[in-house]
Amino acid sequence: MVSDAHTPITSEEYIQHHLTNWVCGKTESHGWTCDPHHANEMGFWAFHIDSLGWSVFLGAVFILLFRWGIPKLSTEAPSGMQNFVEMCIEFVNDNVQSVFVSAKNNLIGPMALTVLIWVFLMNLMDLVPVDYLPELAKGAGIEYFKVVPTADPNITLGMALAVFILIIFYSIKIKGLKGFVAELTLHPFGKYFIPVNFILEGVNLIAKPISLGLRLFGNLYAGEMIFILIALMLTFSSISIGLLGVGLHVIWALFHVLILGLQAFIFMVLTIVYLAMAHETEDH
Amino acid sequence: MNINATLLGQTIAFVIFVAICWKYVWPPIISIMEEREKRIADGLEAAKKADDSLEEAQLEFDQKMNKAKEEAAEILNKANTRASQIVANASIKAEAEAEKILSAASKTIENDANKAKEELKLKMSELIIDTSEKILEEEIDPDKHQNLLKKAASEL
Repeated sequence: MVSDAHTPITSEEYIQHHLTNWVCGKTESHGWTCDPHHANEMGFWAFHIDSLGWSVFLGAVFILLFRWGIPKLSTEAPSGMQNFVEMCIEFVNDNVQSVFVSAKNNLIGPMALTVLIWVFLMNLMDLVPVDYLPELAKGAGIEYFKVVPTADPNITLGMALAVFILIIFYSIKIKGLKGFVAELTLHPFGKYFIPVNFILEGVNLIAKPISLGLRLFGNLYAGEMIFILIALMLTFSSISIGLLGVGLHVIWALFHVLILGLQAFIFMVLTIVYLAMAHETEDH
Repeated sequence: MNINATLLGQTIAFVIFVAICWKYVWPPIISIMEEREKRIADGLEAAKKADDSLEEAQLEFDQKMNKAKEEAAEILNKANTRASQIVANASIKAEAEAEKILSAASKTIENDANKAKEELKLKMSELIIDTSEKILEEEIDPDKHQNLLKKAASEL
């Protein structure tokens, strides 16, 4: 483990350092601890303080901006922030209404808006140069500090889990437990192939949250990794490689902006679509 | 990169933020947007109504205008016929008057002429008598010769 900033570090250590979370958890030997040296001993009961902290902080930013960021709500002449918020809400509402044609659920809109803005803000942390915040954290005595929450599978799968719970909740609420079980067992081959049907439909059902979470994680993790590799070029003591690194960083950041928005949008749309499928009652 | 309780923490955070958004962020904005939508719709409807009533008013105005024009034309027509009638009457009257005056005048002239003729006859007969007296050198007694004189005058 590298804890002394003055000793030169290898590329591998640099990358490894950027991919390690600030974690607090329960260990066999020391009980609850935040010491990174015991990170390997922690089992399931461990929390990534950095991911969760940024996630909650950005969620709060979203709420504050959208609820209390508007000085005065106006029907006739909305001001700048209200215009922006209304634009977002209208965009989300259009998407929800294009998918939810017959079924109505007034939770979907707010949830889609939260997902869109929150995930986008979390993705946006990817554009902060990879060393800035970890170095600041190091100054504050925190050795490992990962900034992008959506590059942490726990965060993306955590949201996907919430969506999954909602899928099951609304499936049972709309179709009844019987209808939900029937949907899982009587398709696509009819009642004589119930086990086969159940395996197929079960995979289909489980694949939704997993693909939802891993898609976002994969995109952001890869983007983050490329930023780390580009930043690595600046650690070589060569001006030309360093300048090339700066140029590459700018280019990748420009491309990455598209990915950030797109992934947030895809996460929102899939959330809406999965929940819309949970609301569908007719047979396929 | 392990899967751990962070996942559950994020799930709880997700639920909390969605709930806050559902309760506090979404409804005020949506209600304001709906209110604005309603206002715009109302405004458009009012504008359409105003347009309709304007059209109606215009139509009514046109109708009244046409009627007034017709009435005016009628009045003018009547006045014209009346005037021409008056003129015609007046001219007939004037003609009659003129004729009357003319006939009276001609009668007077005739009378005067007859009178003059009579006078002339009388004067003539006196002249003739005078002349005849001179010629006969003897006075004819007008009383004695009244009949003769009258006869002569009527023969003139």
